[in-house]
Amino acid sequence: MLVLRDLQKKYTRFRLGYLWTLLEPLGMSLVLWLVFSVLLGARALGLQPYLLFLSVAILPWWWFSTGIGASTRIWRRTGTQLRISTLPTQLWVVRAMLVSLIEFIFSLPVILLGMALTGFLPGPWIVMFPVAIVVQFLLMYGLSLLIAAAAVVFPDVARLVRIVLRAMFYLSPVLYSVSNIPEGAQFIASFNPLVGVLGLYRVGWWPEEASTATGYGISLTLCLVIFVAGVLVFRKLEPRILKEV
Amino acid sequence: MSRVAIATDLDAVVEFDSVTMRIPRRRRRRGSGRRQRLRRIAGEVRREELEVLSNVSFSIQPGESVAIIGPKGPGRQALLRLAAGTLRPDEGQVRRGRRIVPMIEVARALQRFYTVRQNIFIVGGLLGMTHEHIDEALPGIAEQAGVSNMLGRYMNAAPPAVRQKLAWSIAMSVDADAYAIDQTLVVGERSFRQQCWTHVDKLRENGATFLLSSDSPKQFRRFCGRALYIADGRLQADTTVPEALAAMRAARKEARDADGAGEGTP
Repeated sequence: MLVLRDLQKKYTRFRLGYLWTLLEPLGMSLVLWLVFSVLLGARALGLQPYLLFLSVAILPWWWFSTGIGASTRIWRRTGTQLRISTLPTQLWVVRAMLVSLIEFIFSLPVILLGMALTGFLPGPWIVMFPVAIVVQFLLMYGLSLLIAAAAVVFPDVARLVRIVLRAMFYLSPVLYSVSNIPEGAQFIASFNPLVGVLGLYRVGWWPEEASTATGYGISLTLCLVIFVAGVLVFRKLEPRILKEV
Repeated sequence: MSRVAIATDLDAVVEFDSVTMRIPRRRRRRGSGRRQRLRRIAGEVRREELEVLSNVSFSIQPGESVAIIGPKGPGRQALLRLAAGTLRPDEGQVRRGRRIVPMIEVARALQRFYTVRQNIFIVGGLLGMTHEHIDEALPGIAEQAGVSNMLGRYMNAAPPAVRQKLAWSIAMSVDADAYAIDQTLVVGERSFRQQCWTHVDKLRENGATFLLSSDSPKQFRRFCGRALYIADGRLQADTTVPEALAAMRAARKEARDADGAGEGTP
């Protein structure tokens, strides 16, 4: 209950910029669509219609990168609150994750807009969409527990995360489809948890995305592994966090 | 929902069992020489751990008011935070029989870009009040802190003194029977301080327990029946307030004498 109240308060600041949560990913998809589809004319990249193909993956990516980015700053922004409270420490991470989740949910109309523009409707596999959200949330929660705990021990982590995020953007099938990856590299790519998650988002529109089932299996199990690892590591480092914040 | 376990079978409010605590401090690099200077310019910080409590054991019974005195430093605050459970000991064990409200640095938790009303809800919630309880206590808190007319305004409109008062008022309205108070929380003009202490007195009559950290003897001499004198990380004395103060003064004098002697010899 307290968390919700906390969140509401946090959210009041965002409401001013609600339109931005729509415009930012929309603009991002448009720019990338222009560059990769119109200017470069790279028809081979991804699946058609490319604009929708992009926006379906851009939104979760946006959620992922803002959430993970926020997890490096948790202690700096809300450390003083942690110091006076005896609520579970994990709550501070949950809170940051929920804020980014809400932003994500509010940005979903962009996909509707994309569908309206292209007139491309999803098939029955769209049921995987909510599943993807749940899996991504677990992944992000585990990952940000890891990062938040690590950021206390090595403050340098924050910088590193930014670079890694940038690399992840190109290493994950946001701009392209898994089927664009060369055969040999597909197995390696499946060790990227985002491959599985993004695949789940897309499978509703493009059932052929699910062709590499074992690859998805690996990357989705990795999501769970990261989640469990995050919970355990955080519990181990909790006294240290309380001390340093 | 709390990270602090409360042992219901414990009679004491809080019990420290050979607690050792190390607090990290960051320091800029010092020293001359090219190497050190370079590192300083690069902003590299040296991290070292300072043992602020070593092997400290005591227990506090319900209804007691205990003053924690000692030289300036992070030791006293660490002790309060350990008692309240916002810190975990490195070694040893802290057991609590009651919930202890941590009244340490509450003012710092007030967020500038929320309104005063929102802040009351957030900080109250963090200290463990329920929403309904805050709703009920809101007028009282606002009045005591003198912010009744600016509930809807942002926190950065409030001067620092008002923040401190607000922090105190919120913390005091938490329903608990034990409080860990850092002395810096009691600030403001004399009438407000007076009000604070009378409030503490009232709670004490109802059987509340207080842990009070301070370096100015005047305030706790009035009502603390017991004092813990902490210096160099050790519990030097666990006696009455005047005795502990005397011990502290003696130690100070000794240190000064030693300094003087040290300067005299070369």
